[in-house]
Formats: sequence, structure tokens, C-alpha cells
Amino acid sequence: VRLELYLNGDLVEAEIAPDTLLLDFVRGLGLTGTKEGCGVGVCGACTVLIGSRPVSSCIQLAACADGAEVWTVEGLAEREPALARAFVEEEALQCGICTPGQLVAAGAYLRQDLPADEESIREYMSGNLCRCTGYGTIVAAVRRTLGGSV
Amino acid sequence: MGRVDAVDKVAGRALYTADVVLPQVCHAVLVRGTEPRAGILNIDSQEARAMPGVLGVFTASDFPARLFGRRVRDVPTLARGQVRFIGERVAAVVAETREQAERAAARVQVDYEPMEAVIDAERAMNPGAPAVHDSPWEYPGAVVAPGSHNLQAAVEHGSAGAAESALAGAAHLVDAVYTTPSGHQGYIEPQAVLADVDADGRIHVWMANKSPYALRAQLATGLELDPSGIEVHPVAVGGDFGGKGSPMDAPLCIELARALGRPVKVVLRYGEDLVAANPRHPARIRVRLGCDSEGRLLGLAVDSLLDGGAYAGFKPIPTVVPHGVEEPGQSYRIPAVYTLSRVAYTNTVPRGHMRAPGGPQAVFAFESALDELAARAGLTPLEIRRRNLLRSGQPDPYGVTRLEARGLETLEAAMASYVPLPAPAGTRHGMGVALYDRATPSGGTSLRLLPLEDGAIQVDVPFPEQGSGVHTVVREGLARELGLAVDRIRIHQVSTAELPHDDGVGGSRVTASMSNAIGRAAAAWRKRDDDGPVLVVTERTEAPAISSYCVQVVQVAVDPETGQVRVLEVLSAVDVAEVINPRAHQMQLEGGAAMGYGFACLEDLQVSEGQVWAASLSEFRLPAAADVPRFRTVLLPGARGVGVLNVKPAGELTNVTTAAAVANAVAAAVGVRVRDLPITAERVFSGLGQQAPS
Repeated sequence: VRLELYLNGDLVEAEIAPDTLLLDFVRGLGLTGTKEGCGVGVCGACTVLIGSRPVSSCIQLAACADGAEVWTVEGLAEREPALARAFVEEEALQCGICTPGQLVAAGAYLRQDLPADEESIREYMSGNLCRCTGYGTIVAAVRRTLGGSV
Repeated sequence: MGRVDAVDKVAGRALYTADVVLPQVCHAVLVRGTEPRAGILNIDSQEARAMPGVLGVFTASDFPARLFGRRVRDVPTLARGQVRFIGERVAAVVAETREQAERAAARVQVDYEPMEAVIDAERAMNPGAPAVHDSPWEYPGAVVAPGSHNLQAAVEHGSAGAAESALAGAAHLVDAVYTTPSGHQGYIEPQAVLADVDADGRIHVWMANKSPYALRAQLATGLELDPSGIEVHPVAVGGDFGGKGSPMDAPLCIELARALGRPVKVVLRYGEDLVAANPRHPARIRVRLGCDSEGRLLGLAVDSLLDGGAYAGFKPIPTVVPHGVEEPGQSYRIPAVYTLSRVAYTNTVPRGHMRAPGGPQAVFAFESALDELAARAGLTPLEIRRRNLLRSGQPDPYGVTRLEARGLETLEAAMASYVPLPAPAGTRHGMGVALYDRATPSGGTSLRLLPLEDGAIQVDVPFPEQGSGVHTVVREGLARELGLAVDRIRIHQVSTAELPHDDGVGGSRVTASMSNAIGRAAAAWRKRDDDGPVLVVTERTEAPAISSYCVQVVQVAVDPETGQVRVLEVLSAVDVAEVINPRAHQMQLEGGAAMGYGFACLEDLQVSEGQVWAASLSEFRLPAAADVPRFRTVLLPGARGVGVLNVKPAGELTNVTTAAAVANAVAAAVGVRVRDLPITAERVFSGLGQQAPS
């Protein structure tokens, strides 16, 4: 099928197999920041934005994003420099494999006018597993970007 | 400056194995065994070979019979004649794309002749049970005697006679069996490897593996090559926790690359990783512990039986036992001990190392038993520990004398910070304590310092950044020693062709190992007499026993109607020397506690009938941000550390104690002793039902 979408702000046109996953589509374009973890939509390592909605790209057909605005970590880190800076400064990462997904999910959170308290952030970010950090610094990075006290 | 690796990782630029693309790369997918034990009668790949994009279907008969492993070499490249667990590699399908290879792999027909399988460790020890391997003592590196039955390893410590007579004279005695399930390391990056053979026959490997030099040695030994013929290239490693130190699929990937003359990549789907990689050993641990009428420990006898699965090759240490189980009670004075630790071969997924291998299992058993003994002796859990913890200068029951023994101080520091939290209405509050320490050796490594044009120093390092912060430690440590700003030090991971040697990360030793190497490197740099590079190589040292103590105080709220356990807080007190990067140190401790919480309350691969049933991350549940309890950390400074940085290990502490502390807290809350992990509502509920009505 023919696919047209805005990827990190740029128009991308492609001819793809109908069963191509969005994850494989963006990775195939060299955007390997989006990672495959669990493959079943649980761990969040493959999170991208479709519009303002975070989705697990490992269980999303690329064709379903036709006409949409898709953001991956590569674009989002540039679009949300304060968030990216907060992740660096709070050292909100260790092995880094979940970090792109965490950043994208956090980017969605910022744009949704949700409360900045710790419990709300933890609830929202629970679709993004991290095995290294215990989550404290990730929550702190999001709160810092939202202007909350850390 | 923060972490060396942060900016690239946050921008999505860090390259992991699955992200590395070579020209002409093709993809291999495995056909996996569906029987716990069966003869392979026939493999029909005709239909698969005709599928689009398929470059070949390979079975064991296509390659020389070679064996691989970290210590014992008993793991074949592909199953030969027989499968020994559900999920074993039987054939490999290579295609232009991974999806093509997956579709074709589903069309490979394997005919099996099922054989009687041994699916649990206790049965494996029965002399009448079938042998998983005919003569496992003949495998290279084997540590068992000829004639042994289904044993990967067996280690004894102490004296059985002395322990028995001490227990016979005890005023109070506990005799209980504790079990822990199989669990997966839970790294989010599945196992992955990319191999290429260049025109000179030289092998290039990119792999999700924490120890490139150890991997090179394992591959060279198995392939009967000189290590210089193999180059392991730097990549980021997406979580390890002990699970990424084996050759895994690399030997197969290399054989495929040789056969096809093209680079070949194997990236596991996560479900395959859960079912067929190298998860943690499940354990059945019988503890007999006795004390006198004053609560002084007199004797300890521990019988630990671990399920090692179908192959022993995933354990690196010389005894081939996850060493944490060997020395239970090592933080206490116990005059007479006897421990027997056995690892069984079974027809289940081979087991490997996971963060403080053996420690979480043994400490759950021992620290639970200690609380049970305290209750019998009429002492509080704190008092029995105060009376029996090692003091500096005293040898532990296994003959090790630590440079310092700060268990008591760490316990008091934890309790000084303890503040009871309110339990929700209708629940009962409980507090539980557990303690752990382990002496840790430091390893050898090599570093090269090169002057750069702008006056900065490039530091070539041989090890990957698997998340522990090791690259950052090198940068901060060298900057400190040389009196430079951290931005004047640039860390650069190089391939195994570039530096002489590295013992690899693991055993919590990395910061301590770096402390030795950084001291030597800084001294050599200051003394250099030209502008050339400076190379330092350090060896593994038999340094004095440095141990870090961890005391955890856990608070739970238990619903007496349903048995549901909510962990309100995990307070960790840790004894430290210098802390190089306080945030990274804190994260290691909190991440460990989160993993400890998962081990205590959630994680179980549900292995039965020889099969891993929790075959996806929706069934094998890892703690999420909203699941984890509140973590608090208390550092007890002032300890004596290792090397020029004066540091102590931190990576394998807080994950070890949590399960025992939760079990002890649940017992305190509702009087139910859970001896089987994970501590689920069902188990607590069942215990509540057995209580006499009050």
C-alpha cells in the first residue's frame, strides 16, 4: 500500500507491504532510536507519537498512520529540548534501551495538560518499563520539565 | 557533567546490536524444539527453502560438532540428534528479511520421538530418573565426577558432623524449606548478535554481551581459533543483570555467516528470550538453624538444590554454582556450619546468572529462617541480628575475615531512619528486616590514554556501558586523579583488537576494578616522558575481603480478608566508602530494590511440565513506575574501600534482601509465614485460612 505521513515534521512517502509494522517502518528508515522490546505492546520501548497520542509501534500497522503526524525519539528530542535536557541532567537512564520510549511517552504527557504530581506521572508512565533505574530519576525528569519541584 | 552516555541515549543515537546494519546483512530465525526431551527423527525443510527470500535452512549436520559455554562447554551450536528442552535451537532459517525467515521457519517440519523427560530438580536427583546427558563429566570444563547423576555441580562447605551435633544441642531450632521460582533478568533489549567473516577469514562480532573479551575467549575456545582471529566490536548493551555473558547465539551466527559468505543477524523476539535464553535458577533450600537459650546461633545446615536446566554452560564461575547459595549466613557468627549446594540437570530451559547469582535465593531462605528462629527464642528480629552479626576481626563461618564488618552499624543506621507509615483502613501494618553482605574481588582490565590536539585526553576502554555507569566512573575518576575538568576526558570504547585484556563487568566489581586501573593510569600519565599514548594493564587481585552491607527495612500493609500485600516502603541502608557519582549510585540501589520487589512479589516464569508458560512480558510481569514501592536510602559513610578512588561495590545489594524483608514484614503483619516466592495474595490468603480462628 501507499503511505504518506509526516515523520518528525517531514513528509515521507513510501510503498509498503500492508502488514508492515510501524516499528519496522521507522527503523527501516534508519530511525533506530525506536526499539523493539517485548513485541506485544507492554514494555513501551517502541513508543512513538501519532499526533499527540503515544502508541506502541510494535503492535501498530504503519498503514494505520497514513496521513498522520508521527514523532519518534529522534524528532521529539529536538522538539522538546527541555525534556531531553531534563533526562540528561537528572541522569534518568542507565542502559538506555527504554530511554527513547520513556522520552516519547513523557513528551506526550507534557502536551496533555495533566497534573504534575508524582502519582499522576507514575500512572501515566507505567506503560514504559525500565529495569535499571527504579523509575525515581525518570519521574524526576518529567516533573522538572513540567516545572514541578523535584 | 552527568553521564558519559546520556546525550546519545536520550537522542536515540546510541547503537545497540539490533541497530547495527552491514551491507548485505541477512537474518536468521530459529526453529525451536517443542518437546522437553525427544530424539530428532527428521527435519523437513523443503517447503521452507522454497519460500520467498530464503537463503538457506541449516541443521546441526551442516556444521562441525562443537560445544560452547562460559565454564562447562556443553551447549551445542544446534541440537544434534536430540532436544533437551522446549525452546532449544533445532534449525536456523536465513532469509533476506527477518519476516521472511520467520514465515519460512514456521514451515520447517521436525519429527520427534518423545523420550522420558526430567522436568524438575528433585526428580533429577532420583537415581531412577533418566539421565539428561549420558556422561556430562566428559564435557570440557566439567566439575562433576564420573558416575554422577544429573549433576551440573555440587559444592560443600563446613562439616556435617559439627553442624549436626551443634543443632542437636540447640535450645531452639528451625527446620524449614524455602522455594524461589525461575525468573528472567528482564533486560528490555532481547539477546542479539551480528556476525561477519571478512575476506581474510577474520570473524567480526557485534553482540548484546557485557564482556567482549570473555566472549572472544569463549568463541575462540569453542571454534578452536586463536582469539586474534575474532574481533568483538563495541555496541551499547540494553540491560544485562547477569544474563548477557554467554556465547548464546553467537556460535550459530558465525557458522551461518561462514556458510553464506554474508553478515548474519540473530535478534530474538522477547518471547523466545523468556522461554529459551538463560533465566535465574529456581531453588529449593532447606535451612536448619539452631540457637542457644540466649539466642546465640550455634549451628546451621543448609541443603540447596537448584534447577540448572538442560545445559551448564551459562555459569561462569569455577564451581559452576551460582555462588550466593554456597555461603548462607555469611554475615553472622555461627560456630558450626554445613552447606551442600547442588545444581541439577533437567529437561528445562538452561539457567544462567542474574544479579548477585544465588544470593536472592539463599538470603530469602536464611533471613526468613532467622526471623522464624527469633520468634521461637522469644527475641525480636532486630535483637537476634544484633546478638549474632559479625564484628570486625571475626571470621565468618566460611573462614573469611572482612577488612571491616559493619553489619551492626548498618542495621542501627537503618532503624534510626525507620518511620512507620500509616496503613490504609482495613489493612494490617507489618515491618520486616533483612541483611546481606558479600565480599567482592576486583578484576583486571586495560586502559589507554591518548593526548588529543585540544589538550584533552582520550581514554580507550575495553568494556561496554551496560548501564552501571562504568564509563562515567572512568571519566570522573581520572579527572579527579589528574586534577582535570571532566570534559577534558573523553571515553571511547574500542574493539577487542585494540586493548590487551579485560575481565568484564559482573560481580559488582566494575567500579572497584576501575579504582585500581585509574590509579595506575593516572600515575603513568603523570610520569610519561613523551606525547605518546599510555597503556595500563591491571590483573585480577586477591585483595582483602571488602564487603558492602545492605540492611533493608520493608513496611507492608496486608489485607486480612484477601491476603493482598501492598509494599509501602523499602528503606535500604548501605555502608559505603567514597561515592563517585551519587546519582548513579542511588539509581543502582533503587533499581536493585525495584528488582528485589519484583522477585519478592511478582516475577515467576511459571515453569511446569518442562515449559515456560509466562512467555511474554504481559504474563511475566516486571514492576512498572506505578507498581514500585516508595524507596528510601540511607548511606552509612566512612567505610574503607578499594584502590585510589576508595570505593565499594553497590550493584548487587538491594535486590538481594527485599524478598526476605517482605516475607518477614508479612509475618509480622498477619502471622503468615510465606516460604515460597513470589509472595502473592493467594499464598497469604491460603496461610490466613490455616490460622486458628481468633
